[in-house]
Amino acid sequence: MPLVAVSDLVKVYPGGIRALDGISFEVAAGETFGFLGPNGAGKTTAIRILVTLLKATSGTATVDGIDVAAEPHEIRQRVGYAAQFIGLDNDLTGRENLVLQARLHGVARAEAERRAGDLLEVIQLAEAAERRAGTYSGGMRRRLDLAQALMHRPRLIFLDEPTTGLDPQNRRAMWEYLGGLNDQGVTIFLTTQYLEEADELCDRLAIIDQGAIVVEGTPAGLKAGLGGDVVAVTIPTGEPPELLARTRQLLAAVPGAGETKAYDHSVAVYLPDASARLASIVRELDAAAIPVEKLELAHPSLDEVFLRYTGERLRVEEVRRPSRVLRGSGRRGRG
Amino acid sequence: MLRTAGEVRVLWGRNMVKTVRVPILLFFSLFQPLIFLLLFSQVFAELDRLPGFPYDDYLQFLIPSIIALTALNSAFQSGMGMVTDMEDGLLDKFLISPIHRYSILVGRVLSDGSRIVVQALVIVGVAYVMGTRFETGLAGLAVIVVLAALFGMAWAGLSNIVALLTGNAELTMVIGILVTFPVLFLSTAFMPAVLLPAWLDVVSAWNPITYIVEALRALVNDGWDWGAIWESLAVTALLAVVTFTGATAAFRKAIG
Repeated sequence: MPLVAVSDLVKVYPGGIRALDGISFEVAAGETFGFLGPNGAGKTTAIRILVTLLKATSGTATVDGIDVAAEPHEIRQRVGYAAQFIGLDNDLTGRENLVLQARLHGVARAEAERRAGDLLEVIQLAEAAERRAGTYSGGMRRRLDLAQALMHRPRLIFLDEPTTGLDPQNRRAMWEYLGGLNDQGVTIFLTTQYLEEADELCDRLAIIDQGAIVVEGTPAGLKAGLGGDVVAVTIPTGEPPELLARTRQLLAAVPGAGETKAYDHSVAVYLPDASARLASIVRELDAAAIPVEKLELAHPSLDEVFLRYTGERLRVEEVRRPSRVLRGSGRRGRG
Repeated sequence: MLRTAGEVRVLWGRNMVKTVRVPILLFFSLFQPLIFLLLFSQVFAELDRLPGFPYDDYLQFLIPSIIALTALNSAFQSGMGMVTDMEDGLLDKFLISPIHRYSILVGRVLSDGSRIVVQALVIVGVAYVMGTRFETGLAGLAVIVVLAALFGMAWAGLSNIVALLTGNAELTMVIGILVTFPVLFLSTAFMPAVLLPAWLDVVSAWNPITYIVEALRALVNDGWDWGAIWESLAVTALLAVVTFTGATAAFRKAIG
């Protein structure tokens, strides 16, 4: 039985915006499953329905066989959730924030303190534990927020854009931490607009765009589905267009070649196992007297997968929470 | 039930830690009543010479009103705290934990009540230094403080309605002031009923603040007037039923 099972989920917001247009998918226990898509694709809506913060318009979603709409209380005990917008009490210390979350999940005081101590070590906040969360940097806040979601030891956690706003170093550290968590058997459901993140973390992912899942699979499978590697030949500028056409013909004729695409001065061809054919391609280009400025071999990235299935490049945007009015306390800046 | 009490205690404790750690939260709603106390007790000092004024000393008359004003002011901080929790993403954190929805509201309002107790005691201290004498002694003071806190908690429900419907701290504060002031001056808080114009006398009789002020005034000046005390408790309870029904509905609407 899948840990998460979603069937034909639809969410229409008041005002008629159709955020989810009938999505269905499953997540197996122990997996890291990801939703990859641009802002406004419906990622957050889906996750908020699964963690019981939002009601679906129609369709069903179950976690551990329990319907999220029918028994939200049961779901809340079982899952952890770190939202895209970090939720911390700026006036409490890091430790107090963790203990508060555990206590709200019914963990006894002493046990909550013990777990907080352990987790603060793991997320490398032990030294800052007695400082107010309002003084933390962006990376520290992210880590503390994640730790909050783990205090009641859920077997399944939902992470909405867990590294948005982090610098590359902190992002890498977060990936390592999430990898370790998954190794311990925690099932992770995450959303991301970063292709490298989906590639790095996810066992399986679904590309979601405009409220619908456009394609689903393993990162490797999705990339292989494009028709293998890409070989691109660039000819010098100033050469006649006829030369580009000849280059394209030559590449299309390579055994096993898939689709070819011509750009201004270059031609690309999808080719399974391109490394093994590179030498013969070079010889053929030479024999045909085609001048080559550049010869490139690329393994397809999820970027290309995304482009193929949605028709556009993935635009990464950072959404800011509406500014806080009247709090006037600059010292509580969120980093 | 026991579980729910535990949740409320955890949430109350968290709010209290905030109050202690950010003392401005404690003094914010105290400044204005203190200024009113100092100003009114001077500006209107001679009012007690008016024929028909029921008290010998205007200060003695004023103190209970200032305590009630403090409770009202403080109550309107409640909604601002709710807005902060929404903006900080903490409300979501509370909502995804397996607690009763109502505990969030109750925990908040109980901490408002605790804050009002402290603030009322500050006013009482200042009043004592200024020469106010409390007829019912320490026991009376305890009842005064509790009555004020209960009334403030009922009023805090109103603040949370505004907060949950607007999600805006500024609006919550402005609407709080806009509501509090007319309601306060349309009561017997600053002028005894016998000296109010006839129409205002009628309005003030329908104003919940009149009842709390009269009960506090009796405890400060006249002794144990149980009729006034029970009346103020009944009015507070009625007000609480109305504001909390509204706040619960607004809460449901806000969290979808």
